[in-house]
Amino acid sequence: MKIDKTLAASVALHVLVIGWGMVSFSTKAFESMPEDSVPVDIISADQFAKAMQGMKTGKKENPKPMVEKVAEAKPPVDDAVGKIEDKKPPVVTEAAPPPTPKPEEKPVEKKPDPPKPVVENKPKEEQKPAEKKPDQAKVDPIAEALKKEEAKKPPKPQQVKATPPEPQKQKAERPFDQSKIAALLDKRDPSRESITGAALNSQAALGTAKGRAADNSATWGAMFRQQVERCWKKPYGGVEAQKVEAVFTIKLKRDGTLETMPVPLPGGSSPYFRVYQESAQRAIIECQPYNLPAAYFDEWKFFEPAFTEKFS
Amino acid sequence: MRDLNNEGSDELQAKLTTMIAKTHLKLTRRQMMSGAASAGLLLATPVSKAFAQARVTVTEGNFQPIPIAIPNFVPGTQGDNEVASGIAQVITNNLKRSGLFAPIDQAAFIERISNIDVPPQFASWRQINAQALVTGRATRQGDGRLKAEFRLWDVPQAQQLTGQQYFTSPESWRRIAHIISDQIYERLTGEKGYFDSRVVFVDETGPKDRRVKRLAMMDQDGANVRYLTRGADLVLTPRFSPSTQEITYMEFGQGDPRVYLFNVETGQREIVGNFPGMSFSPRFSPDGQRIVMSMQQGGNSNLFVMDLRSKSMTRLTDTPAIDTSPSYAPDGGRICFESDRGGKPQIYVMGANGGAAQRISFGEGSYSTPVWSPRGDYIAFTKQGGGQFSIGIMKPDGSGERILTSGYHNEGPTFAPNGRVVMFFREAGGGPSLYTVDISGRNEQKVPTPGFASDPAWSPLLS
Repeated sequence: MKIDKTLAASVALHVLVIGWGMVSFSTKAFESMPEDSVPVDIISADQFAKAMQGMKTGKKENPKPMVEKVAEAKPPVDDAVGKIEDKKPPVVTEAAPPPTPKPEEKPVEKKPDPPKPVVENKPKEEQKPAEKKPDQAKVDPIAEALKKEEAKKPPKPQQVKATPPEPQKQKAERPFDQSKIAALLDKRDPSRESITGAALNSQAALGTAKGRAADNSATWGAMFRQQVERCWKKPYGGVEAQKVEAVFTIKLKRDGTLETMPVPLPGGSSPYFRVYQESAQRAIIECQPYNLPAAYFDEWKFFEPAFTEKFS
Repeated sequence: MRDLNNEGSDELQAKLTTMIAKTHLKLTRRQMMSGAASAGLLLATPVSKAFAQARVTVTEGNFQPIPIAIPNFVPGTQGDNEVASGIAQVITNNLKRSGLFAPIDQAAFIERISNIDVPPQFASWRQINAQALVTGRATRQGDGRLKAEFRLWDVPQAQQLTGQQYFTSPESWRRIAHIISDQIYERLTGEKGYFDSRVVFVDETGPKDRRVKRLAMMDQDGANVRYLTRGADLVLTPRFSPSTQEITYMEFGQGDPRVYLFNVETGQREIVGNFPGMSFSPRFSPDGQRIVMSMQQGGNSNLFVMDLRSKSMTRLTDTPAIDTSPSYAPDGGRICFESDRGGKPQIYVMGANGGAAQRISFGEGSYSTPVWSPRGDYIAFTKQGGGQFSIGIMKPDGSGERILTSGYHNEGPTFAPNGRVVMFFREAGGGPSLYTVDISGRNEQKVPTPGFASDPAWSPLLS
């Protein structure tokens, strides 16, 4: 058979590179690091688009955010600068004391970028959170102060709960068509994931200053965390909270409801551990459906939430 | 040309090898590309074992009370209505006062429980955000006994967690309610309960300068108050025996105060001993066989142990100081007590047979009335300093000191049987009253008493 030498070499090298990428990561479950949480505001896609475009228009249509369990209806904001300083939605502060910063800041940074080829986008997005991180660490986690700071920064970091693709889409100034966008995103997803898969070891190629594996668990993980914490009635472990960790594997459907009951992983046998585990299990079941970004469905359709007192 | 992409992976590999192996087959470039592309796809399809599941850590959230629904128990017969709803009320009250549960208002319930032997409609309980549900039934039996049954349900998981049935005399329905409360508490918090217990205290009535002090005993929720003495003489520092049938206390009889033993069931009392001097603040050892007390001789006060069987006395301390208010550790191996041998009253710990004592309190102020938790992990005390009286706890080695409440004036802590709640008395508004507080400092509650009350002592669990 006649095979082009160059073709053979090309094929062989491709297979080699991809194969090496597939097998070289560790199978240890990577932890999504607890990020500094910052309180954020929710604005509708409309307001966000206006903020981005820097225009005032008279007519405000607020497209209803999807499956919005917790945000309260925000009045439309005129200001082009996007001073989103309305009262924070209760979801952010319900269970936890108000000043508790929430880990929205980091994933939020990725959103405002206009849709570009994914590969290019990723390094830029990853860099932004890395840069922003040192800034936020210094900022006093009081809601107002943070909001003011956010409002000043050029990319408007306000969008979290509503589906992230929406702002990107608005910027592109196409008529709002959810299915079209979904199709667009779906097409990109596989290619993104293959790249993601190959880079589960900390690949500097993606430009993260911290060199962590690049997946989107920071985004949807923070959203899941915040939603489940609302239902979680932590058992009172006495004066010193005992150091237990209750881990589950859960499967979610696309609409955010549980596909099966959460499966607890074995972790301890003390009565307190059992009570702790049950309280977490009740929380997972109570708080469905979870409003998580459809773009990352393949990541959050099967994952491991770990409930713990450890503050690592 | 076959479309390779549609075939299974194994077949694909086989085909590839056969393709390449059969040298007589001319492999066109297109075929080679498709083959390679399929191979690439193969490698690219996620192998689930190789991917690690993302792990999301959930740590936030303060402790919150568990929302629990406790509908009235189902009466087994017509005449059981009062007892049935009474039991539910007592349980609701207990759980609410513990601060760890948030009972939902009965008016919000959607489903009416009429049969506890079938699963409830969990959806309707989920709707009112109940995470736990208690259903029960009370039935008067033919032989006069009362049968009480309950089931505890986990609403989100739609399953029963525990269920029990009890037989008792109809007058003891409150005790059944306390026992059921303990079961629920233990199942949902992992800690043993404390509701089926009693508190002995000094009931005070009358004007401030001529107070009548009587020994009184009640359920921990304030019900069933009984007076144990008539009030002719002054009574102080009542303490429960670990077997719960006896109380030891001090009474100022004719002149010198004496230590007495009072049997709750028979109502009889006896003098522990005749001591040539004043004796104070007696306490039982955990095995109930000995009483430790302080005796005053001259200007000093030292600790003595008396064996209740042989009535023999053993001296524990011999210092020119005031050693008083002793309390045994739950394992009986050590005693903590208050002593001013270093100047101001401080807390010391020494072996149960005497010997060297270590000081464990080092904060600002003076420490008194130490009492060892039944769990052994804390010692509660009264701290006085800066014009304030505080109730606090510290670990038996003196570390981790934490103040639970502060003001003028708080005194005399005693632990609940599970070591998680402390009762004390506070002088306010004309007279003293009893209060409870969680050892985290949360959930301070007033304990209802008929009049003024002081010097409480908590019994072990009755069951």
